[in-house]
Amino acid sequence: MVADEATLARLMAASQKGDKAAYNVLLSEAGMWLERYFRRRVPPHQLDDLVQDVLMAVHNKRSSWDPTRPFLPWLSAIARYRWVDHLRKVYKHEADLLEDGDAFEDSEEDVVEARVSLERLFVHLPAKQSEVIELVKIEGLSVREAAQKTGQSESLVKVNIHRGLKKLASLVEKAE
Amino acid sequence: MKMSKKRDNMIAELTAELEPVRRFSSKTGLACLAAATIAASAISIAKYSFWFGMFEGDASAFFWLTNAMLLLLGAASAVGVVISGSPRVGSRGNAPEWGTAMLATLPLAAILTMVSGGHAHEGLEDPAAFHCVSSSLAAAGLVGIACVLWLRRGAPVSIERSAWLVGIASGSLGTAAFGVTCALDTVSHLGLWHTAPVAIAAVIGRLVVPPLIRW
Repeated sequence: MVADEATLARLMAASQKGDKAAYNVLLSEAGMWLERYFRRRVPPHQLDDLVQDVLMAVHNKRSSWDPTRPFLPWLSAIARYRWVDHLRKVYKHEADLLEDGDAFEDSEEDVVEARVSLERLFVHLPAKQSEVIELVKIEGLSVREAAQKTGQSESLVKVNIHRGLKKLASLVEKAE
Repeated sequence: MKMSKKRDNMIAELTAELEPVRRFSSKTGLACLAAATIAASAISIAKYSFWFGMFEGDASAFFWLTNAMLLLLGAASAVGVVISGSPRVGSRGNAPEWGTAMLATLPLAAILTMVSGGHAHEGLEDPAAFHCVSSSLAAAGLVGIACVLWLRRGAPVSIERSAWLVGIASGSLGTAAFGVTCALDTVSHLGLWHTAPVAIAAVIGRLVVPPLIRW
């Protein structure tokens, strides 16, 4: 079971003072909390990398937590920020990721769950943008294939992915 | 829920290198920005000398109103900058937006006054315009540096909003800091040339600050 807000806040306060035992527990608990948080937001094969990325951010920015405020909203805000950054990076390195073929190693159930969650976010994007993001990012099509399938030009696919991710980032930033 | 070996190792490494950190405090951030504003004002006074006329009944009501609005907007946006250094979810308030709208009434009042009075050229051909705008922007630069340093220490998660806030806070506080040296207190001068730096600084902030605070 993941620790509650009060426990996490107490562990973080101790960690800021340099308590290593508290910090170890905090990072483990935060890791599990993040795993649940991201489970519906990224494809399963990217989950662990993203959790580690956020834990690293927590470590580097641990002084930015104000002990007079709750811990989980702080962690959640960092998680969302890194998530958007992660989406951008994944898009930039699309070619490399597609060669890995990791997505096909995940269970069908996990893939469907991630897909449903992402589609929930796509409601906020124009259809042309969500369509190409879905094709390239979830189904793993190349930009050219996505262009052929949607009838958009290759550059328009790129533009729509770029704009869609930007809008998504903005939505996440504003979602308070 | 089972952790991966890789994550386990990373947590062990991060734990091993843990050191105490100075905690984030909004008061410290506000004190830093206030100090930067005072320093900007002190430099402006040293360079152009303080306008004592304001305490001798020489200043128009418009002088006080303009500088009070600049300070209020500066304070609201400085609070916004400081708060945005610490990630959070929940209500963040929109005082800077309302403050900006409030300040925007000044140039509007100046333009209406000039146009309705048939002397629009007076405000536009103001010989002190460049001096006031450039000096205010120089003062704003100092406040802006303090804002950026604060945000770099923190962890802003709304980069664009933070950048706007840096621009607005530095522009309004910088202009107010310089304002104590300017004896020109007409509607047209203050309404145009003591508000233009805020708009310019806001745009500069939006363009320049994001890469400096992204993490």
